[in-house]
Amino acid sequence: MKFIVSSTYLLKHLQVLGGVINNSNTLPILDNFLFELDNSSLKVSASDLETTMSSVLEVESDATGNIAVPARLLLDTLKTFPEQPLTFVVQDNNTIEISSNHGKYAVAYADGAEFPKTVTLDNPSSTTIVGDVLATAISKTIFAAGNDDLRPVMSGVFFQFSPQNLTFVATDAHKLVKYTRDDIAASEVAEFIMPKKPLNLLKSILAGNDVEVKVEYNDSNCKFSFENTELVSRLIDGKYPNYEAVIPKENPNKLTVERNQFLNSSRRVSIFSNKTTHQLRLKIAGAELNISAEDIDYSNKAEERLNCDYQGDDIQIGFNSRFLIEMLNNLNANDVQLEMSLPNRAGILTPIDGLDEGEQITMLVMPVMLNN
Amino acid sequence: MTDLKDIPLRKIIHVDMDAFYASVEQLDNPDLRGLPIAVGGGGTRGVISAASYEARKFGVRSAMSGVLARQKCRDLIFVKTRFDRYKEISKQIRAIFFDYTDLVEPLSLDEAYLDVTQNKKGHPSASMLAEEIRQRIFDEVGLTASAGISINKFIAKVASDYNKPNGQKTVNPEEVLDFLEALDIRKFYGVGKVTAEKMYQLGIFTGKDLKDQTLDFLNERFGKSGQFYYNVVRGIHLSEVKPNRIAKSVGAERTFSNNLTSEIFMLEKLDHIAEELERRLKNYSIAGKTITLKIKYSDFTTQTRSKTLSYFVSAKSLIFETAKELLYQEKLKNSVRLLGISLANLNTKKGTEKPDKKVVSVQLKFDF
Repeated sequence: MKFIVSSTYLLKHLQVLGGVINNSNTLPILDNFLFELDNSSLKVSASDLETTMSSVLEVESDATGNIAVPARLLLDTLKTFPEQPLTFVVQDNNTIEISSNHGKYAVAYADGAEFPKTVTLDNPSSTTIVGDVLATAISKTIFAAGNDDLRPVMSGVFFQFSPQNLTFVATDAHKLVKYTRDDIAASEVAEFIMPKKPLNLLKSILAGNDVEVKVEYNDSNCKFSFENTELVSRLIDGKYPNYEAVIPKENPNKLTVERNQFLNSSRRVSIFSNKTTHQLRLKIAGAELNISAEDIDYSNKAEERLNCDYQGDDIQIGFNSRFLIEMLNNLNANDVQLEMSLPNRAGILTPIDGLDEGEQITMLVMPVMLNN
Repeated sequence: MTDLKDIPLRKIIHVDMDAFYASVEQLDNPDLRGLPIAVGGGGTRGVISAASYEARKFGVRSAMSGVLARQKCRDLIFVKTRFDRYKEISKQIRAIFFDYTDLVEPLSLDEAYLDVTQNKKGHPSASMLAEEIRQRIFDEVGLTASAGISINKFIAKVASDYNKPNGQKTVNPEEVLDFLEALDIRKFYGVGKVTAEKMYQLGIFTGKDLKDQTLDFLNERFGKSGQFYYNVVRGIHLSEVKPNRIAKSVGAERTFSNNLTSEIFMLEKLDHIAEELERRLKNYSIAGKTITLKIKYSDFTTQTRSKTLSYFVSAKSLIFETAKELLYQEKLKNSVRLLGISLANLNTKKGTEKPDKKVVSVQLKFDF
């Protein structure tokens, strides 16, 4: 088995695939890339059992073969090469020899048959999304997903496909983001929960990329295919919380404010907030939004006033500044609206402008109760 | 078993104002003096808060419905309650108490326990102190008070009723046991109508009868209160005079002029009750975690529903929302005569009970 490939071309793909590999694996074979050579096409795969990603590369070869090559060693070596052709030759003594312009390197390989088989999806449903749109949907929602092992369903992003639209939801029970695209639809209704790790990989690969992504899914797995790359991920098993039920219906108090001002003030004032609760106090009356925080333990205190447009009763409500900042930071709008009903009910944050055609974002944040 | 002899002797005075609300009204309005008056209960369904002694002769009692009172005494004059005024006078009276001791435990606006074992005047006789206190109340406020003096709160309280109005009764340490043995079981503080009935059934009519019962017998019949009755009739009541008696709950309620049948009509009432409750909470600057909705049906059965939040509330909007939730929680069994909201689990608990008072805020979660 022998093939010749460009060093930077190979590195570029291996670096992306390397994101799948865990730092410590219980199964040593998972520390490897799987190389499946079929004449001039080399399929490279990486897996952590939950997610398997593979890319097909064009190489110069007329051989076939299946080997598993240590990922770290290969990546570390490739990084050091300037662009040049590399020759890979499998030797008899279970090593693969790499020849560069500079010299020769031998790496022990394992039998490709030891590598876990990629899951094939039976009777999948499918839809297609533009890569950048999927990346945006992921980046708008994923920050709100939780890390709680006790509620695994909330550690992923909920995909809700229907013939009308596609909806993506993430929540950690404190904050929630619902991102809907009316301009894309699926042929039938489907719901599944994707884990965070493969989504983060997809997000970084697909951002700014106009490629068509084919999404295939069944009850247990989801597969994303684009260009020469495929990513198959196991889905999170379980029922997603009924998030619609927690979106307050009647919100008589509506605040409209410039996002950047609100964000910057929140950032500044939050420095003075209590280090465990990160609590910001919003007082809204008339056309003035008063943002304050204090850390009684250290006598730190800050207060800022912003002009805003407000309809509703005077209200005092507390929010965790980290949540508020994350949410405001994740919107592109010039102006945002914060709708509230009571100091113990969720606030609803929505952008006023800056949305693409067919795009909708609703963010919810639960308050911190002010005890005074 | 603790014996009376082993307990350090205390001197407790229970001061009880005579027909307080009614007397205040008569004090402020000379035209009412000498007439049978009732405070509160003027409407068709309200109850009387207090009756003057002139009215009591006719059998008018506090907590009696206004309608019944009118039947008993045709010339009864109904006067509106003026709590602010009663509070004001109560404050003046308390100021007098504090001239004698700091150990003053107010039970309500018109009664209080005083521990004068050590008093500011250095006076050895509690009876004479009580005399002096009553005289000062009369001179400075213009109202009469009665007092009971004895070795514990229980006996002092019973004794203050003895020579009412405008009198006092001392039960000396050596008289305590005889006094209690002779006491009618109904006069025991903590024995209400129901318990008295139960005691009668068991052949217990006086303190003596009660004393003859074994602790086991009382525990079996009266549960937790058994021990209390057993001790108290032996002159043992260790409860201290607690100067800062802390309320365990704060509430507000309203009886409707017509029974209500639909939740829709109750919301407005609930809103008013929540507002009143908020006002009271603000007065004491306290907040609580447990909200209880009380529903009294037209057949006088009472139901309570409560909900404990993870944070303290005092704002009307939150109290109202929670009460509304509780109201809709279950179908009403009957038409409703009274609604009430109370707040317990108050943030008045001192450091000894909960060191986590420093946690000033709570991050709320979605209700998944």
